[in-house]
Amino acid sequence: MRYLGYAGQQITPELEERMDLMCDLCNEVAHPASVSCTYDAADLPLELPGKSIAEHLANAQEVVLFAATLGHGVDRELRRLSATDPLGQVLFDAAATAAIEREANRLEAQVRAQAAERGLFCSWRFSPGYGDLPLSVQPDLLRTLNATRRLGITLTPSNLMVPTKSVTAIVGVHPTPQPGLASSCAVCELAEFCALRSRGMRCGAQPTERGTPL
Amino acid sequence: MVANEAARMADEHLRTVLEGKSTLLFDGGMGTMLQAAGLKAGAAPELLCLSEPQTITDVHAAYVQAGSDVVTTNTFGANARKLAEGARAAGLVRVPSVAQVFHAAVACARAANPRYVAADIGPTGSLLRPLGTMSFDEAYDLFAEQVRAAADAGADLLIIETMADLLEAKAAVLAAKENSDLPIFCTMTFGEDGRTFLGTTPEVAATTLSALGVDVLGINCSLGPADVAPLAERMLPWATCPVMVQANAGLPSMEDGQTTYDIGPSEYCEAVRTMADAGVTVLGGCCGTTPDYVAGMREILDAHAPRPHTTRDDFVVTSAQQLFCLPAGQVGVIGERINPTGKRRLKDALRSSNYDYVMGEAISQEQAGAQVLDVNAGLPEIDEKATLVRLVEDLQGVTTLPLQIDSADPTAIEAAVRIYPGKPIINSVSGKRESLESVLPIARHYGCAVVGLALDDAGIPKTAKDRLAVARSIVQACEAHGIARQDILIDCLTMAVSTDQDAALTTLEAIRLVKDEFPGVRTVLGVSNISFGLPYRELLNATFLTAAFEAGLDMAIMNPLSRRFMDAVDAWRVLNGQDTGAQDYIAANADRKPAGAGSPATAPAQATEAQGAATAPSAAKQPAQDPAERVRSAVLQGRGEPVAQGVRELLSANAAPLELVNELLIPALDEVGERFEKGTFFLPQLMASAEAAKAGFAEVREATSSNEVASKGVVALCTVKGDIHDIGKNIVKMLLENYGYEVHDLGRDVEPQVLVDEVVRHHIRLAGLSALMTTTVPAMAQTIELLREQAPWCKVMVGGAVLNPEYARMVGADYYAKDASEAAHVAGEVLQVAEPCP
Repeated sequence: MRYLGYAGQQITPELEERMDLMCDLCNEVAHPASVSCTYDAADLPLELPGKSIAEHLANAQEVVLFAATLGHGVDRELRRLSATDPLGQVLFDAAATAAIEREANRLEAQVRAQAAERGLFCSWRFSPGYGDLPLSVQPDLLRTLNATRRLGITLTPSNLMVPTKSVTAIVGVHPTPQPGLASSCAVCELAEFCALRSRGMRCGAQPTERGTPL
Repeated sequence: MVANEAARMADEHLRTVLEGKSTLLFDGGMGTMLQAAGLKAGAAPELLCLSEPQTITDVHAAYVQAGSDVVTTNTFGANARKLAEGARAAGLVRVPSVAQVFHAAVACARAANPRYVAADIGPTGSLLRPLGTMSFDEAYDLFAEQVRAAADAGADLLIIETMADLLEAKAAVLAAKENSDLPIFCTMTFGEDGRTFLGTTPEVAATTLSALGVDVLGINCSLGPADVAPLAERMLPWATCPVMVQANAGLPSMEDGQTTYDIGPSEYCEAVRTMADAGVTVLGGCCGTTPDYVAGMREILDAHAPRPHTTRDDFVVTSAQQLFCLPAGQVGVIGERINPTGKRRLKDALRSSNYDYVMGEAISQEQAGAQVLDVNAGLPEIDEKATLVRLVEDLQGVTTLPLQIDSADPTAIEAAVRIYPGKPIINSVSGKRESLESVLPIARHYGCAVVGLALDDAGIPKTAKDRLAVARSIVQACEAHGIARQDILIDCLTMAVSTDQDAALTTLEAIRLVKDEFPGVRTVLGVSNISFGLPYRELLNATFLTAAFEAGLDMAIMNPLSRRFMDAVDAWRVLNGQDTGAQDYIAANADRKPAGAGSPATAPAQATEAQGAATAPSAAKQPAQDPAERVRSAVLQGRGEPVAQGVRELLSANAAPLELVNELLIPALDEVGERFEKGTFFLPQLMASAEAAKAGFAEVREATSSNEVASKGVVALCTVKGDIHDIGKNIVKMLLENYGYEVHDLGRDVEPQVLVDEVVRHHIRLAGLSALMTTTVPAMAQTIELLREQAPWCKVMVGGAVLNPEYARMVGADYYAKDASEAAHVAGEVLQVAEPCP
């Protein structure tokens, strides 16, 4: 809903039904898949230019790179709807954006839990396009993860990913707690996927405001 | 038989391999060996052919030592684009040329003394249109450069591998066929769901690549051999050439930058043995395999006589995702709606580049049960070739049905089948010498099925025997060109019974004669002509169709939206045993009431014309409210059916159509726009209202001639070059159309010149440009600059997530529209001013 600019307006049952329909359709055609790899921070196989990412990864011991996608089926459906049903396309697109965010949250929660088990702390996930980390880092990032062969993610000449519902991200693993995370489990977007809480553990997030990506 | 008779063979043994009489062993992974030798992921491994040739030769030599017949050059990513990227990442000042890399790579391979050197060609790394942005020609050019380099460097064969996109594989295969005479091996990579990333199945890949004339086809990479084995077995019956497999050593896991695989050599080779037993004759390894795996496979092949596999001889055509197979005795449906002849709305749509309308026609035919779609863009005033290519390309995004490319112009046919990612039908060739000589080589080169019309220079023969004679000359010409029987479809032609009452019987007799004389040849027929000049045509059409099926017709070219037509098809499929246990028939008809008097058979066809515009009047009476008020409130609620119904009521009460639009529908939309601006409505509500209003407009249009509700002006819209986000643009389009503007939508990732050409051609006075990414704003500025130069009369509005009024000024736009509702205001302001006289 939030990707549709919803702010409490009243919704007719017809519209609600179409939203549900598009969510179901999205679940049907999406094939979420991902790859991730952990690197020694001192021995990263690619350059991450820009001040923001340098600050973000300051003092990190390890860097986790991951890529996730919903696959080409979602793009094909977006093409179909683009030609026949503009409202359906908007609703479907929002559902798909929510789905890929969810997939990225799941992966981030996994990384976070693994770090916590080793007594380490993660920074929030950072993606090309945030701060001054340019999109031009995408080719290196995808090549490093072998994401074209493994997931089918390709780039346009302007470095946009196709399938369009794809995410690449960088997470730092640090010896000390990191700022900028959810203030409590209650407001944490990763709570749904948290493997720690049920075991009475915490990921060591500090009670500060979470940074808002772009 | 070897698929490609003209191929240059390194030796006689290779020929027996391509005939399926000998086995062949490739090598294993290159990346795995380089990783073991200390190469870091990320760098371009192809460059090592130049910088560390000995390391590469050592890898090849280890495979030769283990028993490989073929070593594969280290050129997977050696296309101009990837080399430039790799050289940049490696910090090289000069980018080595494709030719340099291939020469070095073939030399490295040759130095290891293998029996054969296979030049490796991997995917471009970019996705082709319509889902991606790369054009077929760009991909073709990259591959052609590699093919020429490989042939020049002295490779013995080409291996095109790890393809996920069938269209990209086709570009590579055509580049190989047209730029060398080397044998072509082509493999694709599949996921756990048995499809490539782009949805191609093993059956589709095998059919399409066989039709294109590759010498060996198969599977590489993908999964471990045990998971690949069933996929390879699915390929075998559809492959007219040997099948090869190079599987991964299981599933990868990545740790500390190193990739490891979970299946060892002995387990791997067990799975390979089952594939060899099933008929796979060319083997090798992919990611994670090493000389140990190859040595194991050598043992298996040495103890194994090649098993020939059998190939089906059904009629079969494909799209990139779907195979349509019609075994003998079954009947199929080819949808005829994408053909402008006699269809006013389609003509208008093609003239104004409104391709979305055509896409809608495709989807509705697919839903109605079409199995192949005929596509024809023959209109005298448009560029048929360009339009046909555009339609074929766009259709890939919205339908998975195989296409029948329909044109009288051989150059248009060739352009369209060339960029079609599957095995299409060509419609058509005739018995005329000129037609046979121009169309059949295209069908052969691109591996298409072809429709032959039973007419020649003397016209349409009067008798069935004479039509058979023309069919005979077509079949003979096809066979002389190497086109297989099952790829030939004869159209015995339908003439109107109103002018010649023997016409129907003549056609039916001709079908019988053709089927008798040429077992394996299929027949098609467009049936609607039969009823020309007579009333209640559908009854005659459907009856004739049934008779034609009985005479041996295999496929009908017809309107699948006609219920009576589809009823005839469904019923025949019960009678001929195709619909096993009449399951489909029962599912479709169990609850159906016998058609009463006055129930129009055409109703389903109409219902799809305007989405949301339900045609069946609801029996329940609405509350006795003023219909105008009901329409207004239904627009606000975004409910299409009550809007359509209210408008119908008002029209039948003699309301003026123009008044309904200007004083009811448009003000209701304005009210929606105000609420949206105030935040009382959010985007989907705005759009639902626009959709509801559209249902009202559709009713008005039905009731009036087109002149009465004139267009308020034309707006050209596009998402600029480099950007592939089109949702914002689509929303604007929807709203503008509702306000009565004619929208020429150029799509996304649009070259500046393409937009400018459209603006100039139709003297369009307002262009709307959309961009979502900061990085594509410069493309917006370029487009505007070009517009100013070549179309100074045209005003420009811009919009998109990253834009603001200041940015809009910077790129040189006249207007900034922050949302669709504002875009409608801008259109009103620009287009209400009467056009100055030229």
